This record gives sequence, structure tokens and C-alpha cells, in this order.
Amino acid sequence: MAEQPTGLRSWIFTTDHKKIGVMYLVTALVFFVVGLLLAAVMRTENLDMARKTIIIGPYLYNVFFTIHGAAMVLFWMIPVLLGFFANYMIPLMIGAHDVAFPRLNALSYWFYVGSGLIAVCGLILPGRLDIGWTGYAPYSLVGGANTAFYVFAVHLLGASSISGAVNFITTIITLRAPGMTWGRLNLTVWGLLGAFIIQLVGVPVLAAAVTLLLFDKYLGTSFYNAFKGGNPLLYEHLFWFYGHPAVYVVALPVFGIVSDIIATFARKKIFGYTSMVIAIMLITVVGFETWVHHLFVAGTLNWSRVVFMWATIFIGVPTGIKIFNWLATLHKGSIELTAPMLYALGFISLFTIGGVTGVANGLVGFDISVHDTHWIVAHFHYVLAISMSMLIMGGIYYWFPKFTGKMYNEKLAKFAFWLTLIGAMVAFFPQFIIGYDGIPRRYWKLPVEYTPHMRIAAIFSYIAIIGFFLTLYNFLHSAMKGKPASSNPWNSKSLEWQIPSPPPFYNFEKIPVITEGPYEYGKPEGEAPKGH
Amino acid sequence: MQRIVLGVISALFVLLTPLTAFAQEKLHDPAAGWYSHFNLWLIISIVIYLVVTIPLIYFPFKYRRKKTNQDGAYIQGNTALEILWIVIPIIITLLLGVQSWALFTEYRTVPKDAFEAKSVAFMYGFEMTSPEGITTMNELRVPVGPVKMNLTSKDVIHDFAIPHFRVREDMLPGRTTYLWFNAKKPGEYPVFCSFYCGTGHSGMLAKVIVMEKNDYDEWVKKQKGASEAAAASPELMGKELLDKSGCTGCHSITGEVKMGPSLKGILGKKTILADDSTVTVDEAFIKEKITNPEAKRIKGFPPVMPPTQLKPGESEAISAYLKTLK
Ligand code: HEC
Ligand code: HEM
Ligand SMILES: [Cu+2]
Ligand SMILES: [Cu+2]
Repeated sequence: MAEQPTGLRSWIFTTDHKKIGVMYLVTALVFFVVGLLLAAVMRTENLDMARKTIIIGPYLYNVFFTIHGAAMVLFWMIPVLLGFFANYMIPLMIGAHDVAFPRLNALSYWFYVGSGLIAVCGLILPGRLDIGWTGYAPYSLVGGANTAFYVFAVHLLGASSISGAVNFITTIITLRAPGMTWGRLNLTVWGLLGAFIIQLVGVPVLAAAVTLLLFDKYLGTSFYNAFKGGNPLLYEHLFWFYGHPAVYVVALPVFGIVSDIIATFARKKIFGYTSMVIAIMLITVVGFETWVHHLFVAGTLNWSRVVFMWATIFIGVPTGIKIFNWLATLHKGSIELTAPMLYALGFISLFTIGGVTGVANGLVGFDISVHDTHWIVAHFHYVLAISMSMLIMGGIYYWFPKFTGKMYNEKLAKFAFWLTLIGAMVAFFPQFIIGYDGIPRRYWKLPVEYTPHMRIAAIFSYIAIIGFFLTLYNFLHSAMKGKPASSNPWNSKSLEWQIPSPPPFYNFEKIPVITEGPYEYGKPEGEAPKGH
Repeated sequence: MQRIVLGVISALFVLLTPLTAFAQEKLHDPAAGWYSHFNLWLIISIVIYLVVTIPLIYFPFKYRRKKTNQDGAYIQGNTALEILWIVIPIIITLLLGVQSWALFTEYRTVPKDAFEAKSVAFMYGFEMTSPEGITTMNELRVPVGPVKMNLTSKDVIHDFAIPHFRVREDMLPGRTTYLWFNAKKPGEYPVFCSFYCGTGHSGMLAKVIVMEKNDYDEWVKKQKGASEAAAASPELMGKELLDKSGCTGCHSITGEVKMGPSLKGILGKKTILADDSTVTVDEAFIKEKITNPEAKRIKGFPPVMPPTQLKPGESEAISAYLKTLK
């Protein structure tokens, strides 16, 4: 075993997957805080719809939602899941000493930091990014934004994502402990695998799309310039070819974490494990066939809109299977409502609202009326933004004793959960009403009659944001001053809980031999399981 | 179990039958079709939400853990149940999808007798042209009946959305897109730009004014007379220019502050610039402001006013008109 360095150098030069994981977590949380603060300012600007600046005015409002969206999706959700959870949990769950390419792993992290710094420049330096997190051409070409910030941030992040994907796919395929068959993997690992496959296929396309932006803006080419033979729709197509699957990059690992939390706290085998895995893989593949729903009113060919409607709404089927399997897992379980479990259940209730409204957006005839309206903003905050950020909090709580060796404050955790849940449930609902009325999103000011709606939205957003901040305080405080936790406080059967907390440098003194799956709760001695 | 599965499946197929009828019926009003589509979706969604949330809340109480480390029942799965919740969502998806497809076809099939107008978007406004060739800014007049809009853009991507008629379609530079709606009742209906296009996006508003056929014809006649009169008088030409060049998208002539300051009574007024110096607004200042707005920015407003190229005499005409606004 190599010697363990200590101090700051031990972090900067580390290639240990656990340390890299923790660095991802801390960095991603910083971006989460930035995103939340920007959201709080936007909501304050929404308090009164008279066309008067409250604090930021129209230009900065546009900059804020751009950086808010980018920070939240690209620098918070994806890195916390594919950086922190993947790094920390995959080797522990499959029974490995580390990832396949530890140095590449460290490089991925530093690319991510570099990309984040460029994005921050896009917020504070002149030529601020006001192009939306989507960076749509031609506006990103002709407007005042320094689009290069956007392009280089995406490039570096892309390099980070691709090397991460290569690394973890290899790790999962080659470094599983003896006896760790595909059928014995945690669903978190399956979800992450799906996400990494999407990253590997999708990110290069995004990188190409933004590279052409760079050429058009600074080198005089005209890929997207309609007046010189280019086509602005090309950018939208290329962007969403990755942009839509990107939501599954977030969703699939989240689905996995929900499954792990539910199995542990219901002390029950996951219902329909095989169908869960099939659902994950179906979503991975079909997720690439739906992107045109983002171009349902973009002058695309009529027949293509119908084809992509079918693909989009059929994704609802595997997603539905997962929800019903979770409910069936709860059935006849032995349920303990700890904070992580509350987050998992809260996730399902928020996600279902987002899910049914998502089917609506996928229905091409329905979408014409709500496309690019506040309905969409409400939908994606329920289905992805808030629900999944909350679930991530649950996931951090769940593994908190594992990676810190300390226990968090359960009372505060539950209190903050309810604040966030109630805040989020109410905060985004008025936007469904505004969107039903057809009012577009990305508007600095809406028509004045929506002032009451947006005041409710603002107040409950503040509540949700305070809830998140309390949660972050709980993490910070407990990591420093929490009571020591035992190595397996939940008495889970999953492999990562069978080693000390925090895990030693090389995780396993000896690579374990696996004899059963992670969810075998209540297995009667020597008896074959019921069903199947 | 199998019998239940079969029962549910056949019940859902019975539900599908009225749908084929729907697909054949021509509604000739996509907006009306949209509401029935919405209602079907809403009912299904509420049912799904209850089916999920009730057990989600009930199970944790019913199956509360009683002893530490007590395990739940050992169940792997249940094939019949799993098939049930594959098949039912598929049927629901088909149901909604077929209805949506029919509605979409309706949305994209323009009736032959539609009134055909055109709109060209720019940062930040809509130039509208009637079939008679009358051009207006941010205001479209149409007679009662089906209306087809041909849409395009001068600069970036915009969108033409009329929430009341439940239609929208993006406006792309370099190509023409379309939408249609059935304008049944006279009235004023707001139009929004629904594709993010920059700082002025949320101020990019317009309206569609639906008129009885007679009123519309009369309006057309009056407009033709008016543009002849405008050619003779600089004030009228200035008023038209202000509309045509998109100024009124950002500036009111009534004193109301929109994206930019109101132009009412502006000549002779003292204005504070971004560098805190003061200037008196005169013809020269207005000319410079129009052709090179960067040079002198007004304090307290976003720097979004775009430059406009003018023909000789046009700036003077605008100033002449602005003088009449006291
Ligand atoms: C995109 C919105 C926009 C458009 C279109 C626009 N302006 Fe402006 N205008 C502004 C804003 C914002 C300001 C104040 C900030 C500045 O000085 O640029 C302004 C300032 C002015 C001023 C100075 C006002 C004062 O208080 O001294 C004049 C005059 C003016 N505009 C005239 C015009 C004319 C004429 C047109 C049409 C050719 C026009 N604007 C088009 C946004 C616009
Ligand atoms: C309480 C927390 C949050 C609040 C109050 C909030 C609020 C907002 C607001 C006001 C907008 C701009 C809407 C508009 O004018 O169009 C927005 C956009 C957006 N939000 Fe959030 N948000 C929150 C959390 C999140 C999270 C956690 C994510 C993570 C994915 C997220 C992702 C986005 C995205 C992608 C956009 C679109 C940006 C764009 O249009 O380019 N938000 N949010
Ligand atoms: Cu999508
Ligand atoms: Cu716009």
C-alpha cells in the first residue's frame, strides 16, 4: 500500500477516488449556492411586474437566468452525481481499490474546476453571458455577450465529462469483485452506467455545436448565419441532441439512489430489479430519440414533430415502471422514516407532478400552447431541478456517515426537508397557471396581472432556499462536530456499508468475494425467493 | 390476477373507440380542440397522481418499522403486476398520443379561405403586413374568420405567440414559417415573442385586433388615404417612421416608461447621460441618438437601443412629429 500524504498537498495531488469525490462535492455545492442566490435575486425582481427595475433590470435578469441555469445543470447536478456519487460509491459498491484510471480521474476534476472558473468570468467580466444556458444562435453570435466564455466552459467541461465517462465505464466493466455479477450491482451503479454512456455519446456533439459558434462568431464562418447560407436551426438540433439526454444523465443516477435508499429503509428487496435495469437502459437509448420536442414550434417539418412526439411520450412508460416498482417495494416493507427516506418519498411526489406535465409537453398538439412558457419552467423545476436537488440532499445524508464517519443532525435534517418540500411544492405552482395562460418564459417582466402569482412564487422560493441553506449548514456543522457514526448505522446489506467509515485508503484490505446482491433483506434461510 | 389484467386492458380499449371518432371530426378551431385535449390529459394526470401519492403516504404508516432491524417481506417481483403497469401506461400513452396527433394535424392544416397576413420580427418588435400591403408596427388588424400568418425574422430567432388562440411558431431569419388560428370574435388579443431574443425580449409585445369584415374594409380604405397624406406632411411622416422603425416598441408617446424613456415632450428637455453630464435634447441630439445610440447613453436605462439607418429628411420628420407631442 502506498504511503498516505497529508495536508493541502494531499488533496491537490490526490488520485484517491474518495478524495476526488469529496472535492467534487464541495465544488458542486459552491455552484449550487451561487445558483440559489441568483434565483433569489431573480425572484425578488419578479415581486412587482410594473416595468421598473427592482434590483437588476432586464439585462442582468437575462445574465442571471443564464448563469443560474448553467450553474445548476452543468456545474451542480451533473458534477455532484457523476463526480461525487460516482467517484465515491462506484469502487465501494463494486468492490474495487480505486477507479481504472486514477490520474485521469484527477484530471477530470481539475478540468471541471477550470470550466467553472470560466463560467464565473461569464457572470462578472464585461461581455457577460446573457444567452441562456442553451446559448442559442444567432443571438449568441450577434448579441453583446462574450460567447467565448460559454464555448470554452463547455469545452473544458466536456473534456472532463468524456474522460470521466471512459474511466467509469471501464471501471464498472473490469474492476468488479469476484462474484459481483451484473445482476448483483446496486441500482445506483446501473443508473450511473446509463448516465456515463449518454455522456460518452452526447458530449462530443455538444462540443462540436459550440465549436461552430466559436468559428461563426470570431472566425467569420457562417454555419448558423441564415443570411450567408447557414442555418440557425442546426444549432438547436445539435444542442438538444445532447441537451435532452443530459436530463437523463441527471435522472438515471437519481433513480438509482432512490432505489438504494428505499431498499435500505424499507429493509426490503427492490421489487422488479430486472425491470428496473431494463427501464434504465431503455431510457438511455430512447433518450437520444426525443430531442425534437424542444423544436416543436421551431418551423421543423410537421411529420418529424409527430415522430418525436411518440418517442418522447413513450419514455413515460419505463419511467412509470420505476415509480410503481418503488411503491411495490414499500408495500409490506419495514419502513423507517429517516431524513434520507423522507427525501426519497418527497422526490417521488414532486417528480410525479413533473412527470405528468412532461407527458403534456411531449404531446405535440398540447405543447404548441405551452412551449417556452412559464409552464415549462414549472415543469422542469418539479421534474428535475428541485426534486432531484432535494433527492441529492437525501443521498448525501444517506452516505454521510460513510464518507465523514460522523452522524448528521436528524431533527434539523427533517425540519429543513419539510421547509424545502413545502416551499418548492408551492413556489413553482403559480407558474403552471401563468404558462397555461400562454405567457412566455425568460421574461424580465410579465403582464402586471401576474404580480400576485409571482409574489406567492417568490415567498415560497425564499422558503425553499432557506430550507436548502439549513441543509447545507447541517452538512457543514455535522462534518466538523457531529457524533461519530458506526460503520453501518442503517444496518444495510449493500457492500459499501460493510467496511469501516470513512473507508481506509485502499477501501478493502482484501478484495471481497460476493455471494449475493445488495438488497437481500429478510431472505428466508435456504429458500428460493417468491415470484419470477 | 391474470383476469384482472385482461379486464383492465379491454376496458381501456373500449375507451379508445370514441377517439377514432374524434380523429375524423374536423373541428376547424384548433383552440377549441386544445381545451378538450387538455381536459383529457388533466383527468388522466390527476388519477395517476392519486394512484401514486396515496400509497406513497399510506405505506410508511401502515408498514412502519416496529422493531429495530426488522426485515420486510421477501418478494422479488410479480410478473402479472409488472405487466399491468407496463400495459396500462402504454394504453394511456396511445390514447393521448392519437388525440394529440389529430389536434396537431388540425393546427398545421390551413383552411383554404384563410385571410393571409405576414409578420417580420426584429429586435424588438413585429412588423405586420396585411394582404392589401398595409404595413403596421406591433399591431395587426384582421377580419373575423380563419387567419394564416406567414412569419420570418430580420435578425435573430423570435416567436409569434397569441395565447388567446393557443398558437405559437418561431420566426426564423432566412426562412418562412406559418401558423393559423380562427379569429371568431372581434376584440384585441395580445401577441408575445416567445423565443428569447435579448434584452428587449420581455418588451417585445404586440396585439392582434380582430374586426368585423365591414370595419376592416373601412380601415383599409382610411389607411390608403392616410399614407398619401403622410407624404405631404413631415409630422405625419414622422409618426409613421416612429412606428415603422420600431421605436414605439421601446418608447411610448404618452409619458409611460417602457424599455426606454417616453418621447412625450422630449424636445427642449434636459436629460442626464450615463456619465452624469446633462444635455438639452434638440434635433441634432435626436439624429445622433437614432444613428449612433452608443455615443450618448441615458442614465438609468439599459443600453439596448439599436442604431437605425435613416434617409435624408427622416430624422427631421421624426423631430417635427416629436415637437407636436406636448
Ligand atoms: C430596443 C429598444 C429601443 C428601440 C427599438 C429604440 N430605442 Fe430609443 N432608447 C432606448 C433606451 C433603453 C434608451 C435610454 C438608454 C439609451 O440612451 O440608450 C433610449 C433613448 C432614446 C432617446 C433619448 C431619450 C432621452 O430621454 O433623452 C431618444 C431620443 C430615442 N431613444 C429615440 C429613439 C428613436 C427615434 C427610435 C427609433 C428609430 C428608438 N429610440 C428606438 C431603447 C430603444
Ligand atoms: C429554489 C430554487 C430555485 C428557484 C427559486 C429557481 C428560479 C428560477 C427562475 C426565476 C428562473 C428563470 C425563469 C424565467 O424567467 O424564464 C429559473 C430558470 C432555470 N432554472 Fe431555476 N430555480 C431554482 C432551482 C433550480 C435548480 C436546482 C436547477 C437545477 C437544474 C434549476 C435550473 C434552471 C434552469 C435550467 C433554468 C433555465 C435557464 C434558462 O432559461 O436559460 N433551477 N429558475
Ligand atoms: Cu427534452
Ligand atoms: Cu423575443
